[in-house]
Amino acid sequence: MRTNLDRRHFLGLAGLGAGAAALAACGGPSTAGTADAVDTATIDFTGVKPAASIDLWTNHPGKSQDVEKAIIEKFHAKFPDIKVNLVTAGANYEEIAQKFQTSQAAKTGLPGLVVLSDVWWFRYFSNGSIIPIDGLVKQLDIKIDDFQKSLVDDYKYDDKQWALPYGRSTPLFYYNKDHFKAAGLPDRAPATWQEFAEWAPKLKATSGAQYAYIYPALAGYAGWTLQNNLWGWGGSWSKDWDITCDSKESVAALQWAQDSIYKDGWAGVSSKEAADDFAAGITSSTISSTGSLLGVLKAATFNVGVGFLPGGPEVPSGVCPTGGAGLGIPSGISKEEQLAAATFLKFMTEPENTAAFSAATGYMPTRLSADMSAVLAATPQIKTAMDQLAATKVQDNARVFLPGADQEMAKAAAKILTQQGDVQATMTELKKTLEGIYTKDVKPKLKA
Amino acid sequence: MTTRQIHSSSTAPAVRPGSTPPAPPAPAAQPGLERRRWSGRSRKDFLVFLAMALPNLVLIGTFTYWPLINNIYYSTLDWTLGSASATVVGLQNYITFFTSEDAAKVLGTTAVFTLVTVGGSMVLGLLVALALNSKVPGTTFARSAVFAPYVLSGVGVGLVWLFIFDPGYGVLAWILRGLGQQSPQWINDPQLSLVMVIIVYVWKNLGYCAVVYLAGLQSLPRDVMEAAALDGANSVRRFFNVSLPLLSPTTFFLLITTMLSSLQAFDLIRIMTPLGNGTSTLIYEAYLQAFGAYNRAGYSAAISVILFAILLIITVLQLRFVERKVHYS
Repeated sequence: MRTNLDRRHFLGLAGLGAGAAALAACGGPSTAGTADAVDTATIDFTGVKPAASIDLWTNHPGKSQDVEKAIIEKFHAKFPDIKVNLVTAGANYEEIAQKFQTSQAAKTGLPGLVVLSDVWWFRYFSNGSIIPIDGLVKQLDIKIDDFQKSLVDDYKYDDKQWALPYGRSTPLFYYNKDHFKAAGLPDRAPATWQEFAEWAPKLKATSGAQYAYIYPALAGYAGWTLQNNLWGWGGSWSKDWDITCDSKESVAALQWAQDSIYKDGWAGVSSKEAADDFAAGITSSTISSTGSLLGVLKAATFNVGVGFLPGGPEVPSGVCPTGGAGLGIPSGISKEEQLAAATFLKFMTEPENTAAFSAATGYMPTRLSADMSAVLAATPQIKTAMDQLAATKVQDNARVFLPGADQEMAKAAAKILTQQGDVQATMTELKKTLEGIYTKDVKPKLKA
Repeated sequence: MTTRQIHSSSTAPAVRPGSTPPAPPAPAAQPGLERRRWSGRSRKDFLVFLAMALPNLVLIGTFTYWPLINNIYYSTLDWTLGSASATVVGLQNYITFFTSEDAAKVLGTTAVFTLVTVGGSMVLGLLVALALNSKVPGTTFARSAVFAPYVLSGVGVGLVWLFIFDPGYGVLAWILRGLGQQSPQWINDPQLSLVMVIIVYVWKNLGYCAVVYLAGLQSLPRDVMEAAALDGANSVRRFFNVSLPLLSPTTFFLLITTMLSSLQAFDLIRIMTPLGNGTSTLIYEAYLQAFGAYNRAGYSAAISVILFAILLIITVLQLRFVERKVHYS
């Protein structure tokens, strides 16, 4: 086919292309060099009237849809002028984040209040997507001192409070009491992984389960729970901003984990959800979130025991990370909506509501003054999670502050735990990747 | 320019003996005449054309070309999804992709996934079509059963097959345990994840190839087949020397459609391997980079443009070269 592209046609097409490109540049983000940071000086809610309606975006952590609805109904009774719409914004924290980031880019459809996980809130902060709530805390008299300090401090940066804790959890050690009894083991979680390594062959021999222990699903939050192993061996994903996943301690921890699968043969790796595998009787023990507790207790047909996470050869205790989600207020909505959202945020995190949320899910109560007596009488296992809070440790920066680090950690864990990859080489490669993410995506946004 | 050249270009072209002389050049249109013509039937035709085509052109422009142009523009930005600001980086996103270790991995995964799924769907589809073309009882039911997976939702199919492949309590693991074997780590092992997704994708799509091939087989000219049989060609020879060449338009059509569809496969990969560990094809990598944990919207846009270019090149190559080998009659 012959095309007659003469000078006039060519110039016309070039003009059309340039025009289209110029028009395209009118949409999307600003390239004028404006900063993302929220102008906190302008956040003053004096004289602002709360909006009549806001959306709450949640993934119903710990199957909490019913209790969330109940709390909202109570709120409507107390504040009839503010309507809260419960929106299922995803099946997990990542799906909520996807919806939230997309709405942020489209500059439309943002909620009043959004569930943000431990690995997402900092990104929202650095993108200027959420506001600091200090002014609202003061104006609405939110009792910040009554929150569990370690949980509320997780959302502090640059001397400002960026969110409040909501569905907060720690990993718990779940064990099948019947299997432990049949193996002649004590009715408790192992104090250290070395102790469990002695128990595991007996468990495997007597329980009839496929595994004595199953590692949490790698596609879930492997980077979160594996911190327990790393810390127990004296290693970590990072120390402050130094990536230390390739240190000899970190490599030793993951080598031990690999050996438990390939050399010793008593451990496996969950494909979807370790708590479900445990409740189905596939394994005698696992580590999963406290948010899975009520679900496991309902689904299991055996006696369920829970305990603190085991320590390691170097650090025998205090090797449990905090986790879970908080609630934040977007910057891209009106002040009226922000005030209405803060009013609901205050109500949602009040002692009786955090106790109700905890009773329904197994997540930890976030308020010190929450009356948990009735909850603990019904589900005494929650007490273990509450007690363990005193032995928790703030997560490694690399996991919670580096975008995509959790995915990279999961891929590295998959290589080690399902393909028997060389641990040192895999961790060296991971370090290179994490340092690249830090240099490109985080370092330029950090306060000097 | 020489005088000779000027002379030759200004004279009428030479006419070879025996050939038809070219038509004399049309007289130059006078402005008045052109206006009269335009104001007559042509104008009416043009308005009808506009009325018919404009709604479609507006829709295509708004939902296809406009996002495409925007995407090309975004591919020149260093933009974190959700951020209100971005930096213009020119071709840096493309350079980063092609110089990263991920490029070889992603392009390799895309090539393996596309070649195996296209080849698998077409070969198995043809075999199934041959079986369905035979005159045995139950073929009507078999045709429906074979085609059914194609119309099912990819999400539903992915979830059901995940249950089958689950090494803990999946059906396959249960069968293997009955045989004294451990289930492979289909979901956690990146290499096996790719195999798992390919199996499901081929299963879901071979019905489409089978039905299209079946239509092709049933429209083959009987006289040619009968002539081949009378000449003593056995069924294998008739298939390879007569049926297969005559099916080449069908094969060509399927090659284009299944290849484009495989390169854009998303739902099964998203449901069965959300992290894309081992299954990150170009389109899924673009999704993960923007909407997964990384939020690199500009980089993701660059990957999308690369995918667009690959699709365009493949289609043009197929249309230009493969079609020449096709026997349409």
